[in-house]
Amino acid sequence: MFMSSVASIALGICLTGILWRIGRWFRSRIGPERAKSSPVSRLAAVARALFGLCFRAQALKLLAAFLWDILFQGRLLRQSRLRWLGHMAVCYGFLLLILIHALDDWTAPYLFSDYAPTMDPFRWWRNGLALLVLGGVLGMLIGRRRRAAGIHTRSWGDRLAVALMAVIVLSGVMLESAQILSPTIFADMVEDYMGADDPAEVAALQRYWAAEFGAVPIPSLGGAMDDDTEAGQAAHEAYCASCHSRPQSAFLSYPASRLLKPAAGWMDTYRVDDWLWVIHYLASCLALAILPFSQFFHLVATPVNLMAQATGPVTSGAPVLRATRRALGMDACTHCGVCTTHCSVAPIYRVIPNTDILPSAKLNGVKRLATRRLSASQTKTLAEGSAICTLCGRCTRVCPSGIDLQDLWQASREDLTASRVAILDVREAFRPGGAAPSLPPPGLAGSPPASLGLTDRPEVFWACVQCTTCTSVCPVVAASDDPQGDLDLTPQQIMNLMRLQLKEQALGCRMLWDCVTCYKCQEHCPQDVKVADILYELRNAAYQGVMPPQPMAADNH
Amino acid sequence: MTPTRADLHCDLLVIGTGMAGMAAALFAARRGIDTVQVGMTGEINFASGLLDLLGVHPVATGQTWSNPWEGIARLIVDRPRHPYARIGMDTIKKSLAEFVAFLNDADLPYRFHPERNVRVITPVGTLKTTYAVPATMAAADDAITRRPPCLLVDFPGLKGYSTHQIVGALKGNWPALRGVRVPFPGLEGELQTERMGRKLETPGARQQLVEAIRPYLGDARFVGLPAVQGIARTRQVASDIQQALGVPVFEIPTMLPAITGLRLRECFERHLPQMGVGARYQKKILSKPQVVGKDFLAAVGGEAPEMTVQAGAAILASGRFFGQGLHAERHAVRETIFDLPVYQPANRSQWHHKELFDNGGHPIHHAGLTIDDMMRPTDKTGRYVYPNLFAAGSVLAHQDWIRQKCGSGLAIASAYAAVRAYVKCRGRTERRTPVN
Repeated sequence: MFMSSVASIALGICLTGILWRIGRWFRSRIGPERAKSSPVSRLAAVARALFGLCFRAQALKLLAAFLWDILFQGRLLRQSRLRWLGHMAVCYGFLLLILIHALDDWTAPYLFSDYAPTMDPFRWWRNGLALLVLGGVLGMLIGRRRRAAGIHTRSWGDRLAVALMAVIVLSGVMLESAQILSPTIFADMVEDYMGADDPAEVAALQRYWAAEFGAVPIPSLGGAMDDDTEAGQAAHEAYCASCHSRPQSAFLSYPASRLLKPAAGWMDTYRVDDWLWVIHYLASCLALAILPFSQFFHLVATPVNLMAQATGPVTSGAPVLRATRRALGMDACTHCGVCTTHCSVAPIYRVIPNTDILPSAKLNGVKRLATRRLSASQTKTLAEGSAICTLCGRCTRVCPSGIDLQDLWQASREDLTASRVAILDVREAFRPGGAAPSLPPPGLAGSPPASLGLTDRPEVFWACVQCTTCTSVCPVVAASDDPQGDLDLTPQQIMNLMRLQLKEQALGCRMLWDCVTCYKCQEHCPQDVKVADILYELRNAAYQGVMPPQPMAADNH
Repeated sequence: MTPTRADLHCDLLVIGTGMAGMAAALFAARRGIDTVQVGMTGEINFASGLLDLLGVHPVATGQTWSNPWEGIARLIVDRPRHPYARIGMDTIKKSLAEFVAFLNDADLPYRFHPERNVRVITPVGTLKTTYAVPATMAAADDAITRRPPCLLVDFPGLKGYSTHQIVGALKGNWPALRGVRVPFPGLEGELQTERMGRKLETPGARQQLVEAIRPYLGDARFVGLPAVQGIARTRQVASDIQQALGVPVFEIPTMLPAITGLRLRECFERHLPQMGVGARYQKKILSKPQVVGKDFLAAVGGEAPEMTVQAGAAILASGRFFGQGLHAERHAVRETIFDLPVYQPANRSQWHHKELFDNGGHPIHHAGLTIDDMMRPTDKTGRYVYPNLFAAGSVLAHQDWIRQKCGSGLAIASAYAAVRAYVKCRGRTERRTPVN
């Protein structure tokens, strides 16, 4: 009674939370169109758009997206086969566990005529699905750790979600193994189903189970006799076999019970199996309740976003729909970090330790911006990250959740501009100073500077006559009143270092990082020196030599 | 014209964007010739801006000429294979006059005396003779002649330019010469003349510069500045500064690449396309042009082919070693575009004399393309290699423009002669109609 009311409350919280989150899609304001429409008119616009869709050929596209992107998770497959495998395992493993195990009271009668949780193949399936989920979660955790390279963007909710998933599955497995070992349960079952008064028959049955299945350890009943075994088997076939497969088929729980066997007596005294059941049940309820407030919500938002994205990029839709689509997109983020691994300006993070340079972290800032929860200092870091982004669109292309990130960056940048946050001031006022890459001491750098070849081939730059043409035409030099102070070295000075075989000396200079690769220097060079290519290669070499700085704003979202 | 699938068709292809290439494109455009010009601009940046006609002859004795025309007359007699001898005195005069007239019209005025060379002060403190100078340098000749009190100005951070050195070298004959170093308005660190020039194109920077110089003016009757008075608006910049200082101001050339070359480059790059030249700057001929019928078919691009150009004739003004018209290989010098025969010493050991500073210069400096009377490159027998290929500028053999101080004159006069020869040759053949 108490337990079922806990489940009802959890379900209530879950449904209310989902509605609240969905409601936020219509209240969140991001992008230049934000001031123009009320939540109600936005809801109406979405309804109109959905209704309109039913009568268009686009509906077919949606169907294709549903099959490929959602059911088959094709975007993940394109990303990495291993990740896809892990995610499919967790996704479908957990889904089936919920369907045929957690909700078996409701679903089993319709699906199976002979359902019993202790019968094969159901018990075998349950263990298999649990293994699938555990393996998938573990694989995804390892993959994410490798991908994120020390940059964590998950919230407490995300961590709790993953932890809960592990608790649910592990407690389930432990519960089953405790049940296998429990004499009390054995006694209860005997009483309920055997109705036996003959202690000899009960003892024979128990001995049979202990010998045959290694279950229900017997404290002291003396040696078994031959006819005793036969009697045990007869009792088993008469009263148990119709509902119990061999417990060995529970290929996770059974080995676990072998490990726990020495503690079986203690576990039975304290009814550990009951406690495990409570933990298993409450953890499941908790997971249900926090679904709308954690990474689990992507179960709702990501499929919806993928379908929305199938109708085209955000800006292709009506202006009144855009803010809603952006909010939906932000909720669809699973913090997987793939965008950051593909971000074309992510290397700058190694020089300027602002996590908002990285798209996966910047999205949190944009979320806060949309709901007006951004402090002044957070606004400043977001503005800098936003200014450094080149809107190249790689993040959008790779996002497994189909979020139109490029549009989000554009829209939030316009919002920042509209609220008079001086985006360019941030960069101008910023002097890397201590954070700038200093000269890696020869032989001490973590890895040898990457060499693409140009800078190690004297014929590439030996024609340089130090005429300063490259420096004279350089727009980066021209933008500064004090190039030496701002850039350390000018292009022609860097070419001179190349001639002097002092490549390492050039690696620490700021010119490399400020070069916009416009190629004017290279085009104007009277000696055909590949000035821009050399600068680019040196930048890569410097990047290889620089250790990542300590994250400044990580983990606080 | 033989029909091909070229991207661009023209009557005349000018290869090169140095002084000779620019002059050839100019003369062709003024004669209404359908011209395309291709070349990496870079070389013209290294023009000193001074138009030398003839300074020294014979090189071995180092004899200088105050009247260049007398020198040329003597050169033609002594060195009949020199391009000047092919071109002729009359043509040289006409070409210079037309060239300078264009620059005057293009707001880049030059000054010269018809019958004598003028003098300028060099950044190392020597005096140099030349024929025509930018108007901004003209006052130096007067100052050098009269030697009145004169103030030379330099700036911290401007390399290769020191009034201390200039005054030290000239003070013996010019006691009233003084030098001063003032900060350059708005720029710090190492200075590049191009950036200084652009800075002075703003009135505020000019004002600051004048204020910085004024306290040191004293009795000076002339002020000498390095050549930094603007690039596209030089006349305005120079006249403002001169008016504010109240005395004649002259510019002293700086180390290359100098703003004086940049002014020429900006002038040509602005005006030639307006005059109808199909300018393809920052591009080069990537491989030896094919001959299709009588036309040249050339692949043009930056690093990879971007277009093909079909031309009825071509003027090769690709320069020498620095301009990459000639390439010195291990054993021989090669012409880089058409692989034309190059006149040169028989083997590498004869390229140079034993003494680096040999008074007569080195044989390698006389290497280059030999030409016939129609300015067409010839083979060893003296016959032209292509009937419709002409050559101009420093790629020509039998001259040593650096020591003879005849670079600009040679470039301009040979470009003029090449265009004239092209017109003559075209007149002889039937009228062509372009095919697209």
